[in-house]
Amino acid sequence: MTTTTHTLILPADWRDFWALTKPRVMSLVVFTALCGLLAAPGTIHPLIGFTAILCIALGAGASGALNQYYEADIDAKMVRTSKRPLPDGRMEHKAALHFGVGLAAFSVVIMGLAVNWLSAGILAFSIFFYAVVYTIWLKRFTPQNIVIGGAAGAFPPLIGWVSVTGDVTAIPLLLFAIIFLWTPPHFWALALFMKSDYGAAGIPMLPVVAGQKTTRNQIFLYSFPMTVAAITPYFMGATSIYYGGIAAVLSSVFLLFAFAVWRNTATEVEHMLPEKRLFKYSILYLFLLFAAFAADRMMVP
Amino acid sequence: MTDTEKTRYSKTETRQIRARQAARARMTAIFLLLLCALFFGITLVKVGYWE
Repeated sequence: MTTTTHTLILPADWRDFWALTKPRVMSLVVFTALCGLLAAPGTIHPLIGFTAILCIALGAGASGALNQYYEADIDAKMVRTSKRPLPDGRMEHKAALHFGVGLAAFSVVIMGLAVNWLSAGILAFSIFFYAVVYTIWLKRFTPQNIVIGGAAGAFPPLIGWVSVTGDVTAIPLLLFAIIFLWTPPHFWALALFMKSDYGAAGIPMLPVVAGQKTTRNQIFLYSFPMTVAAITPYFMGATSIYYGGIAAVLSSVFLLFAFAVWRNTATEVEHMLPEKRLFKYSILYLFLLFAAFAADRMMVP
Repeated sequence: MTDTEKTRYSKTETRQIRARQAARARMTAIFLLLLCALFFGITLVKVGYWE
């Protein structure tokens, strides 16, 4: 016998659309973009500067929405992401796609019209890079997903800088490099203690494919070029000794925590304290480093 | 067993749906108003009103 049940499908709440934009990721994006904007030489009208940051935030939100649209199937398999609007059934897939595409187009066009078309072009490329190159192409097929995909998260300070200057020079590229090299140790630390989640979803993260030892080696190795990139602005004469000193101290602590991860041999999540510590510190590190960079460029003559 | 979308709703369900739609409409209205203010401000900057 066949029985028919009727499901009440409520329209998605505005909070679900907000969740689709990954607000916590957006906060780091907005902060690094603001630092790029403040550190750039030249001036920008505060309202145009605000518009630039708003467009970068909306672009990041659009990337998050398109990412969640495409990854709803694997999000449903992971504890960490199973309560997101799409896997939890609180929103129609089509609504997420329309929201993401609409937000992306809106942010790029407003950036172009209000700020400049070079920053709009880089913003469009960063959305494409995250939604297509990382989400569709890299994430499911290679353990190097977050190495190359890390570029997507590295664009905001570059866009912030270009919003003011209208051109790309060595310093904003260095800011890009810092986040690009910071991403692998940051994400691999997370992937180590979330390995079972990624494994269940079939995502070829490095700990799943190459094992924990290789991942710990890679975390420690990547911390060195990241440290060099963090200190280089001082040696290029772009900042004062104050930033150079802060970057050296912050990076030394990062290296110390990465060394503790490298030495750790734990296979159980409850014994992965060095990995959890490095993951938490890596977020603080990026915030403090970029804050120091912007403050140094603004305050020190 | 098949699962289909409901086409006739009870009073409670209708209230739930209307409340959701009203909350979304309010947020959209706020967003559009702020956007109008922003565009107005950008226009003033672009025409050199604040220079």
